[in-house]
Amino acid sequence: MYSLEFTVNGQLCQVAVDLKTTLLEVLRDKLFITSPKVGCNTGDCGTCSVLMNGKLVRSCITNALSAQGKEVTTIEGLAEAGELHPLQEAFHDNYGAQCGFCTPGMILASKALLDENPKPTREEAKEALSGNLCRCTGYGKIIDSVMAAAEQMAQAKS
Amino acid sequence: MAERQFFKATDPQEACDLLAQYGGKARLLAGGTDLMVAVNQRQLSPEVLVYLGDSGLNYINSESDNLVIGAATPFTDIMGSNLVREEAPLLAEVISHIASPAIRNVGTIGGNLANGSPAADSATALLALGASLKLVSKAGDRVVAVEEFFTGPGETTLEPTELIQEVIIPKKAGEAKWAYRKLGKRKAQTLSIVSVAICCPLDGGQCQGTRIALGAVAPTPILASEASALLEGKILSEGLIDESAKAAADASNPIDDVRGSAWYRRRAIEALVRQLLAQISA
Amino acid sequence: MTMKVVGQRVKRYDGMAHVTGETRFVDDVIVPGTLTIKAFRSPVAKGNIKDLDTSAAEAMPGVAGVITAEDVPCNAYGLVPDQPVLVEKAVRYKGEPIAAVAAVDEDTAVEAINKIKLDIEEEKPVFDPLEAMKPDAPKVRPEGNVFMFGERPFRQIILGDVEEGFKKADIIVENEYLHPSLEHAQLEPQASLAVPDAGGKLTIYTVSQALYFHLGQLLGILQMEPDKVQCKQWAPRTGSSWRHNAGFSDINYVGGTVGGGFGAKNDIHADHVTALLALKTGQPCKWRWTREEDLLYSTFRGAWRMTIKDGITKDGRIVARQIKSIRDAGAYSTLNFYVVDKHSFLAAGPYFIENVYVQGYCVYTNKPPASSMRGFGITPATFATEVQIDKIATQLGMDPWEIRFVNAFRKGEHTATRRVVNSVALVEVMQKLAEKAGVDLPDKLMTMTSTERG
Repeated sequence: MYSLEFTVNGQLCQVAVDLKTTLLEVLRDKLFITSPKVGCNTGDCGTCSVLMNGKLVRSCITNALSAQGKEVTTIEGLAEAGELHPLQEAFHDNYGAQCGFCTPGMILASKALLDENPKPTREEAKEALSGNLCRCTGYGKIIDSVMAAAEQMAQAKS
Repeated sequence: MAERQFFKATDPQEACDLLAQYGGKARLLAGGTDLMVAVNQRQLSPEVLVYLGDSGLNYINSESDNLVIGAATPFTDIMGSNLVREEAPLLAEVISHIASPAIRNVGTIGGNLANGSPAADSATALLALGASLKLVSKAGDRVVAVEEFFTGPGETTLEPTELIQEVIIPKKAGEAKWAYRKLGKRKAQTLSIVSVAICCPLDGGQCQGTRIALGAVAPTPILASEASALLEGKILSEGLIDESAKAAADASNPIDDVRGSAWYRRRAIEALVRQLLAQISA
Repeated sequence: MTMKVVGQRVKRYDGMAHVTGETRFVDDVIVPGTLTIKAFRSPVAKGNIKDLDTSAAEAMPGVAGVITAEDVPCNAYGLVPDQPVLVEKAVRYKGEPIAAVAAVDEDTAVEAINKIKLDIEEEKPVFDPLEAMKPDAPKVRPEGNVFMFGERPFRQIILGDVEEGFKKADIIVENEYLHPSLEHAQLEPQASLAVPDAGGKLTIYTVSQALYFHLGQLLGILQMEPDKVQCKQWAPRTGSSWRHNAGFSDINYVGGTVGGGFGAKNDIHADHVTALLALKTGQPCKWRWTREEDLLYSTFRGAWRMTIKDGITKDGRIVARQIKSIRDAGAYSTLNFYVVDKHSFLAAGPYFIENVYVQGYCVYTNKPPASSMRGFGITPATFATEVQIDKIATQLGMDPWEIRFVNAFRKGEHTATRRVVNSVALVEVMQKLAEKAGVDLPDKLMTMTSTERG
């Protein structure tokens, strides 16, 4: 067993892992952070998406030890000082969440996009979310939510 | 069972030393996007892991006539590199069709190649660009052309004690034209059913050293050499394109699998080569 | 009076929990000491179990319990209770569960599964419903390969007289339509957590889309008292697993949070096994199917083969419609017969046709059981009948829009099952649709109404 030390949503954590442990297993089974889901466990569906050092990754195929010393953000870490992130508001307001199973991953993928490209086109938003599957919405309302959040964030800045 | 061991290599030499020490028991871990799928599916249970994420193999350099990319450079970095966009735009384009952003953020070019998949998308780009690979081990290093690197499905010339250090891409100054197309079940997050990458340096409108690379239609990614040779020194015409497309289909040796039939793949190759050469000649 | 909800956009009641990650799906319920379940599934599509040896698995350190058919009090469930929880003798599809293991962790459970020894006599399976309908076909089921709708091997709908209708027709259009099987691919795989409470009661966290159906069936499966023997004998329509002695209070069935279902969770996939293992081991037991298991072995929309013969007059009126549909049900009845019922009732489409004859067959094959998926059997029927309308239009040289307008239900007309339709707006919907799609329809169509047949 190895000791993994990393930061999750601003908190330093230390857990014991072995060679085969995935970041998803650490988050769900050891830290009880259950917002990243086990959808496929092969990196195909995107429900386990988290941010690692600000970049979108699949926690189900991320070897836990490769997170050593890094900063991981799950959707629990998005709200600041009790204020929801504009993406969370937008997904709620625009019906971007339906059954909710893909939602945490979808919002984190959207955050990774807006952090890098605050004014995406719809096409760019689709590309950014292309690895995250949803079976309820048909994606239209998800893209609406991303565009609404981008708009709202741009207004808040000006 | 022997104690499982995890090592974080701080430079390529250290990684080579570990490979020399543990031989076939050791597996290299970079992004893990192939390795960890196999682990999760219980196809693989590595005894020794050597992590390359902090081994100094993440770089993109311009060295005289070549563009040199460290093997552990993630796809996202390569795709976003101005140097790559200027010197090897075909590679940036091909990478933009690999998987999805989350996979490209950690998946590396060296990992994609070492995995040895006949459908490895970066391989078709590198074949078309005439790239070579620098392989290192404790015993020394060697350079092999990409077309000599793959030996079969999941097999490469890599020795158990060797790793890919870098990818060397000759700069295509001047008039090199290129085109690429991948067919998958969907646009993102999909393995190629067929892919074609063409690099066509033009000299006064004449093809000089065209390279046509085919993915997912043979035991390894391949070059359609005869299809390219037909074009040598000639100006692209409809008849010539047709001939070359047919030769490319003949060069393929596809199989039936869940993604597509051999019948479909052979026809798709011909259609894609025709379409891409027409695009280049336009 | 201003309405608070009617006419207003209302946010989802559970939306806030979804966007904060607080929604707790079944797999997110974490109870200390929970065992992990893995299933031992049949390697063949059809066979007869000669011997099953689970002793090596049971003896493994870390294995808390192994169950086989012997451990299931009433080993037949479903609306028509014909499906075993765990196979006793006759395997009917590849991947059918034969045993299940509860162990301290996944690695141990998988290792234990690999130690189970099975001696099975493989038999010739049948996969194609048309082959399965032949008299000398391998028997998927002892009672026959075709589901009996009462006395008939098909659901029959008769309105008027199609043969008379065909005589009045100017042209006959007959085509065959194939609809492949489809997987729901809901993002939350099948999952269940059963927690034993004091006094032999259970709390089950479920992904069920049909809580009360499943609660009733679970109580039947788990029944500890009489009828044990009787319930193992399968009898059409008179469900035995519906009769139970346990009360509703014996299971605290916690559901309602479903990570996508689309019909995939209208049949019990995991709750029976977690319940049995929780009762056997006295410990909480969780079973989350892998994506591979979910794609291969959970229920799905079964394939259809539909033949439609229409008689049409020159003005585009369909005067007779004859449909023969065959549903590939897989190995068990599940909701298949209900799917065929809905298909047969509505297969003639939203059109007033005076002479209709529908035969809906439900045929067993050695495949995983198909079941419900969005729209049950209506969706494949709509695919077939709407393509058929386009083909009629081509053959008549008429605009396909016109065929639909001419035949659409008008107020007071009735379906093939003689259900009078009073609230109809198909004509108006199509007019609006044409407008939105920028299709310029002729005045004679744009002035039609659903209130009267012009």
